[in-house]
Amino acid sequence: MSTGAPEAAVKTRAWAGAFTDRENYVKLVMLTCASVAILAIILIFLFIFRESLPAIRDLGVRNLFFSTDWRPNVSDPTAGNYGMLTFIWGTLLTTFGAMLLSVPLGIGAAVFIDQVAPDRMARVVRRGIELLAGIPSVVIGWFGLILLVPAIARATGTSGYGVAAASLVLVVMALPTITTLSAETLKSLPIELKEASVAMGATRWQTIYKVLLPSAREGLLIAVILGMGRAIGETMAVQMVIGNARAFALSPFARTSTLTTRIVTDTGEASGIFRSALFAQALVLLLIAMVLIILIRVISRKREPA
Amino acid sequence: MTEEALENKMQIKNLSMYYTDFKAIEDVTLDVPARRITALIGPSGCGKSTLVRCLNRMNDLIEGVRTEGQVELDGENIYQPGFDTIGLRRRVGMVFQRPNPFPKSIYENVAYGPKLVGIKDKEKLDFIVEDSLKKAALWHEVKTILRESGQNLSGGQQQRLCIARVIAVQPEVILFDEPCSAIDPVATQLIEDLMAELKENFTMVIVTHNMQQAARVSDFTAFMLVQEQGEPGRLIEYGDTNTMFTNPTDERTERYITGRFG
Amino acid sequence: MKGKGARADKAATAVFWALGLITIVILAFIIIEILARGLLTAINPKFLFGKPEAMKAGGGIFPMVVSSLYLAALTILISLPIAIGAAIYMSEYAKKGRLSNFIRFCLDSLATLPSIVFGLFGLALFVVYFRWSYCLLAGAFTLAILNLPILLRSTEEAIKLVPNTYREASMCLGASKWTTIRQVVIPTALPGIMTSTILPIGRIMGESAAIVYTTGLFIRNIPVSPFDTAAPLAGYIWYAQSEALVPDYRQIVNGGAALLLIIVFAIYFLARWAGNRYQQTKLLGPKMK
Repeated sequence: MSTGAPEAAVKTRAWAGAFTDRENYVKLVMLTCASVAILAIILIFLFIFRESLPAIRDLGVRNLFFSTDWRPNVSDPTAGNYGMLTFIWGTLLTTFGAMLLSVPLGIGAAVFIDQVAPDRMARVVRRGIELLAGIPSVVIGWFGLILLVPAIARATGTSGYGVAAASLVLVVMALPTITTLSAETLKSLPIELKEASVAMGATRWQTIYKVLLPSAREGLLIAVILGMGRAIGETMAVQMVIGNARAFALSPFARTSTLTTRIVTDTGEASGIFRSALFAQALVLLLIAMVLIILIRVISRKREPA
Repeated sequence: MTEEALENKMQIKNLSMYYTDFKAIEDVTLDVPARRITALIGPSGCGKSTLVRCLNRMNDLIEGVRTEGQVELDGENIYQPGFDTIGLRRRVGMVFQRPNPFPKSIYENVAYGPKLVGIKDKEKLDFIVEDSLKKAALWHEVKTILRESGQNLSGGQQQRLCIARVIAVQPEVILFDEPCSAIDPVATQLIEDLMAELKENFTMVIVTHNMQQAARVSDFTAFMLVQEQGEPGRLIEYGDTNTMFTNPTDERTERYITGRFG
Repeated sequence: MKGKGARADKAATAVFWALGLITIVILAFIIIEILARGLLTAINPKFLFGKPEAMKAGGGIFPMVVSSLYLAALTILISLPIAIGAAIYMSEYAKKGRLSNFIRFCLDSLATLPSIVFGLFGLALFVVYFRWSYCLLAGAFTLAILNLPILLRSTEEAIKLVPNTYREASMCLGASKWTTIRQVVIPTALPGIMTSTILPIGRIMGESAAIVYTTGLFIRNIPVSPFDTAAPLAGYIWYAQSEALVPDYRQIVNGGAALLLIIVFAIYFLARWAGNRYQQTKLLGPKMK
């Protein structure tokens, strides 16, 4: 805060000059364009917070964020109860399930692309991953609905909808992010690292396991965090297979909801405090995303000096 | 050559330049005579390119650059506060190490500068383009392909196109920053001949690592050197090119010149 | 000892091959499954160019396809100028410091926020607060913000590919900074900028969570004005399967999903092709004959 004054002074000068000098005027226009990003973040925060305020005020933090009691009332919103803990749990559970599969798969595929595969094969897998990333989530959701859900139903004797189906769908969503970023990290490692290890008589596997993966640790962590971000935020694909129940999930085959799926399922018919409670869920998603971003910043700052 | 008639187009007075904390050149004092060619020679990293970029304030574009001392153009200090750098760069043009025609047509490359000062008349532009290309000894090679991209030309042609582009602005001084380092010997010969012709109308400064080139084209030569790693570049000796190459006063100049020749 | 190491190496290699190939298998599985179920419907003119039905069977999806294209065009129209301006600021003007750091932080945050958060934001700001109701423009503004980080990054990369020596040459001819940017930097970077705009179009067409509560979900007529309610294909696919109001909704969703997949892949390959072409002329130079 102590540097606020000189910065403000610089700003005033820029403003004053803006109207006399074309160069400064242009610079100001460009800066305005760049500031749209700042403005957007502020507006998003402001509006999501503003809309969730009634629910926070009327229900209280405890009843809203830390209660599993979700009994909305469409015709008389004030008569309902809007605790979202069930859905926070649902988000965590499905994301955890997705990570269980997509982290080893993603990092493994990245190692394959960067270290193991012949050039042509590596290119095929890389293109495949890019295509996978481009598949719209409704298409993946539909694929899950017509194939995964019946398969799970046959195998377990349940409805097939639920946490497991959601996690599997999320694997497809998170996989491209994790693979692409991990492969980039591995590629950026100095080649000497690998050469030194191989020169000491290490096999390819030993080199990967003992030298490459540990040196890429921070980058891989960032890849996993961003993949998690994808999984937490994914909406449509999960909504189509999770069953959209309001019960607290205790089994991988239980039907439940996540924050995102609850929002998209209910926003169409919600009003008043019901609607506000849904915005409060978006606020939680917003805060989770910010935490992830800050986490990534901290990790990458730690990586730079090394 | 009548030594008495020499007037100084530019005068560098006690010039030092810093990249943030690193001092790149120190206390250079040097006169640039009008309508002559002055060569800056020295081993790579001695600050000769940096010095020549101080003459039209191209170093201003790099963040953290700071200068001390003066550079005068017709007696006026170009580093005085409020000096019009855009006007300065019109008066002091520059040809770069690598030919860098814009990805535009040959015509548009040459017309770029005149258009900047508001010349829109088609006939006038046509005249300037033809005249500049003729002065750059390129007209006959390109007159039928003026609408083709300047980047389709050979390296030597591209460099002459860049010279034509500078001539079209009608500068008073032209700076050459190792203009032949990226082109073949035949093209180099053409450019050296061209410089000799341009001497009638322009004051020129050429940075070169090639001493034969300095000996061939220049009237005056300045030798720069970095004594020790991490020290700034300094001007060691300056004088008439003939004297510099046959009878240098400073031992270091002699060592550099003979070392390279031998 | 050596034998053990070699065995472990062989096993590990096999595992990595398996992991690499699984990704391809997943992709192939999805593509085949979606196309096998929907391709015939998707290319049936009666479906592709037909009017949707609200309650009975036999509806088409033409207004939805138009909505998607319209939405993509509007979004690019809004976000491209901003992205170019911002990219110019970040690459040509911004000095390293707090402000540019903060802008990067905001861009990273925008890139990480879940799209449903953008959707609710668009609903609160454009649909409700501005009283635009569900319309194409509300969706386009929402998606413009959503796509700003990716568009800005690719634009910035295209601008950074312009050699610095062009800028220097222009300045040496007496051009000001802005003149240099306008006359030399932007024209040189333009093919690259255009190429890098293609991929985000695919993303816009595939996006659903951010638009279901901003553009609308169901329409019967082709939207004309930007303030008309629309139903982009991706959103409609979700709506059709979740409400299941028409008896043949399965066929409609199968066809719609196949069509969407084809569109998105076509855009992807177009982007790749344009990117390769651009890179060839850019890096090898037009001299190669």
